[in-house]
Amino acid sequence: MSKSQNKGFTKEEELLLQDFSRNVSTKSSALFYGNAFIVSAVPIWLFWRIHMMEIYSSLILFVVVTALSTYLLAIAYRNTKFTLKHKIAMKREDAVTRELLKKLSDDKKMSKKEKDERILWQKNEVADFEATTYSIFHNNAIFLTIVIVASFYILRSFSPSVNYTLSIGTASGLLALLSTGTK
Amino acid sequence: MADHFLFSVLLLVVFVGLISACTNPQVTSKSFTTQDATIVTHIGFISEFEVKCSSGDISSLYAELPDGSIIPAAVVGTNKYQVSWTEDTKTAAKGTHKIRIFEEDGYAALRKVLRGNEATSSVSEFFNISVVHPGAYSGPWLRSEFIAVIASLFVSYFAVTKKGKIVA
Repeated sequence: MSKSQNKGFTKEEELLLQDFSRNVSTKSSALFYGNAFIVSAVPIWLFWRIHMMEIYSSLILFVVVTALSTYLLAIAYRNTKFTLKHKIAMKREDAVTRELLKKLSDDKKMSKKEKDERILWQKNEVADFEATTYSIFHNNAIFLTIVIVASFYILRSFSPSVNYTLSIGTASGLLALLSTGTK
Repeated sequence: MADHFLFSVLLLVVFVGLISACTNPQVTSKSFTTQDATIVTHIGFISEFEVKCSSGDISSLYAELPDGSIIPAAVVGTNKYQVSWTEDTKTAAKGTHKIRIFEEDGYAALRKVLRGNEATSSVSEFFNISVVHPGAYSGPWLRSEFIAVIASLFVSYFAVTKKGKIVA
């Protein structure tokens, strides 16, 4: 173990690391799981009212598939967010720096280091928010497209319960798989 | 003597036949066709018509359907007749269907023509009735799931291209 690790990171180092971190905050995680649950549960309506599945007799299937899909979608959200966050941070850096420096220009007391830290923190916040919301939008759009295309066209001839399991399973599985890619 | 009697009877039959034939028929008809092709596979056609003769009576009537088959018209009341049939939704043509109606004599002639494999159009009909089929509804022109797919593809395309721009 190196010396710096023993001592722990400085605040600046931690902020910099956060930029590349795959970990998400509890708030972000709750947002991901909440959203993933809603999006996974929405197709139940489609299969109940349009594909005429019996809601009570298929309750177990609905619960299991929704839970699995929620988990897979949350993974997809997290991975997509990780891919995007650093790129967004780099894109927003100039604008955030300019804005913050303008805001802090009156404050003569603040040291250069402190200003840099503030900029880093702000940049991190902006990128985090943007990456989180964009990741949810991106994955939801593709998930629902795959579900609609699969359930109405590709798996049309299958029985509703097979159609439901396969279309939701494929959509969420595919998104989780694709999100592990770097592009 | 016997020959003479037989001749008289035959003459009487022919004479009575001539007297009883309907002359100058006045026909009023009304028709109905089903108009749904979403859940049913056939279109039902029905025509009810009333025939009034200036003199004489009608024994029975026969109808030639658009597909060429000949069916007897059902008697549903005094001088009232009914003809009904079904056609596949795919082949049921939109517009006016002309149904030719024959009397006993016409029917006999028709059978003769059919036996000889000749065209039935050579036999003149007793009268015509028209059945109007306004066309059947076979569902919306664009299905709602198709619209949903197009809309979601549009949103997904936007999402993917935007991601490509951020990552690039």
